[in-house]
Amino acid sequence: MGTLNVESLSFRYPGASDAALQDVTLAIPDGGIFGLLGPNGAGKTTLISILAGQMQGATGLVTANEEPLEALRRRRPGFLGIVPQEHAFYSMLSCAENLRFFGGVQGLAGARLKERVEAAAAFARIESVLARRAGRLSGGLKRRLNLAIGLLGEPQILLLDEPTVGVDPQSRAFLLESIRSLAGRGRTIVYTSHYMEEVEAICDRVAIIDRGRVLVSGTLSEVIRDGSGLEETFMQLTHRSLRD
Amino acid sequence: MRRLLALWEKECLALSRDVLGLAVLFLMPAAFIVVMSLALSDAFKGSPARETEFAVIAADPALADRLAKNLAGEGFRGVPGPASEGEARNSVRLAKYKLVLVVPHDFEQALVAPLDGGNALPELTLLADPALPPAQLLAFRQRVLGAALALRLSAMMRRAGIAVDADALDPRRAATLKVETVGGTGRPSSVQQNVPAWLIFGMFFVVMPISSLFIVERRDGTLARLVSMRVPFSLLLLGKVGPYFAVNLAQAALMLLAGRVLVPWFGGETLALPGRWDLLAAVTACTSFAAIGWGLLVAVCSRTLEQATVIGGVGNLLAAAVGGIMVPRFVMPEAMQRLAEASPMAWALDGFHTVILRQGGAADIALPCIKLVALALVLLAAALWVHHRRRVLSPA
Repeated sequence: MGTLNVESLSFRYPGASDAALQDVTLAIPDGGIFGLLGPNGAGKTTLISILAGQMQGATGLVTANEEPLEALRRRRPGFLGIVPQEHAFYSMLSCAENLRFFGGVQGLAGARLKERVEAAAAFARIESVLARRAGRLSGGLKRRLNLAIGLLGEPQILLLDEPTVGVDPQSRAFLLESIRSLAGRGRTIVYTSHYMEEVEAICDRVAIIDRGRVLVSGTLSEVIRDGSGLEETFMQLTHRSLRD
Repeated sequence: MRRLLALWEKECLALSRDVLGLAVLFLMPAAFIVVMSLALSDAFKGSPARETEFAVIAADPALADRLAKNLAGEGFRGVPGPASEGEARNSVRLAKYKLVLVVPHDFEQALVAPLDGGNALPELTLLADPALPPAQLLAFRQRVLGAALALRLSAMMRRAGIAVDADALDPRRAATLKVETVGGTGRPSSVQQNVPAWLIFGMFFVVMPISSLFIVERRDGTLARLVSMRVPFSLLLLGKVGPYFAVNLAQAALMLLAGRVLVPWFGGETLALPGRWDLLAAVTACTSFAAIGWGLLVAVCSRTLEQATVIGGVGNLLAAAVGGIMVPRFVMPEAMQRLAEASPMAWALDGFHTVILRQGGAADIALPCIKLVALALVLLAAALWVHHRRRVLSPA
């Protein structure tokens, strides 16, 4: 079970005149893929970082399975996982060393660690490059290693921050298929992306946020108002002016 | 513990693949130990290994020879002099001679003149190369005055009807003087100064790999990922303490080995090892904690690799310059010696010298060790505080 509720979440970076997040309220149901959309600077990564516990100082309430997320994660550290936008691994270590390390810091050891490393590597189809230095992998393989690391702890809620940036169509198709299969196994996935066709293809529900506020949230059919497509709806809601 | 072991393993793997970082940690101090031990070997000896040449010119060649014979020894060697005072001045100006003693033609007559207000003292002139160290010039000046006194006494005794050779009045023949240093082997030799000094310098250079990997971790998002995996920041810092403590211990073992094997192999002295290895280990450990604390603070405070390189590198160089690593403290003026007491490298050097040089006990190394550990705790607390402030304010 991985129901996630965000209630009136606000956050302001010190010295900033505008809030990065303002009264953000989202209901992310158990299972399925929840698309989080917004132009650059909308607050997507800030929201993901707060949910992942990387940033402190936000007001509001985040609950998972009707329990404060922070308390739940203290009890079950592996309940929530993140696959960040960056290649967040050690380029000087091999893929296997990276997987073993990130498994180890999550408390895995011995046969259990070996089993999780093998399972995550198999899922991301990186078994053949496990001995290779992570920094020498192609862009697609790096994304797959990034995903594999996020799956080591078998999280019930997985936050994916633009996981397909900079990969070729083959790797992208593979990653999307993998994400879909993860949701099929009962996980709740929060997925941010700038690629509307990706979101339309894999997400059940979406929220569009801009300037720290939720503009719309619901199922795809609820959000796409006039049948013109997600991209057109997105542009109408967030306007066409360029963002920095 | 399992998580800590994973962090230590990662840090060791990352460090083992940083060839440049390892070279800085091990080759740089070893190279400094060899080069500086050999280069400064004369400066640390009571008398220079290479004798300073001098000449005596006098109208009476026999007097010149006698004086030259009395002045020779203890680092000074007489050589045939130039023909005239003019030529001597020119030769000293061109650095052909370091010292030339010019004896006036009426010197011997003037020696026997009564010492009363009516007679001027006989005047000797010492021509000296300006590059000659002041201590050497002073030593030679004392030798000249001693030899002149011996000549005067001899002349006066002859006048009084006592036949005595001036050589018998040589002050060096008055008695033998044994200099005994108390509490160890005395002033450090070149190798005893340079091995601990450059070892400390090398140990503090862990600031470079610690900060560079930490900044890469922050830049690439691995630190944020670890935080999201609920790895406490204090554990992340501890994850760096263990491996770099081991690196510092390895540095200490290898640098001592360099002092025992490498320096003598290149023709220098052999490092005298301490009697108490446990005390040496204690000083090494305390120095290591301070060095790692410094590295962690620089890592947390620096936003870029360039900042870390400048803060860490310049900080180390300043602490080394002030703390008696590059220039021994005993040659510094008093004000600089007082300033040196503020450098952690000076505390560490005090500790090493107490063990290696003065054969001190546990009580003797307590103060430098307490200072180093206290500094390490302050630096670690500061690193945690800076991180806490930044984490509240912005992404980790």
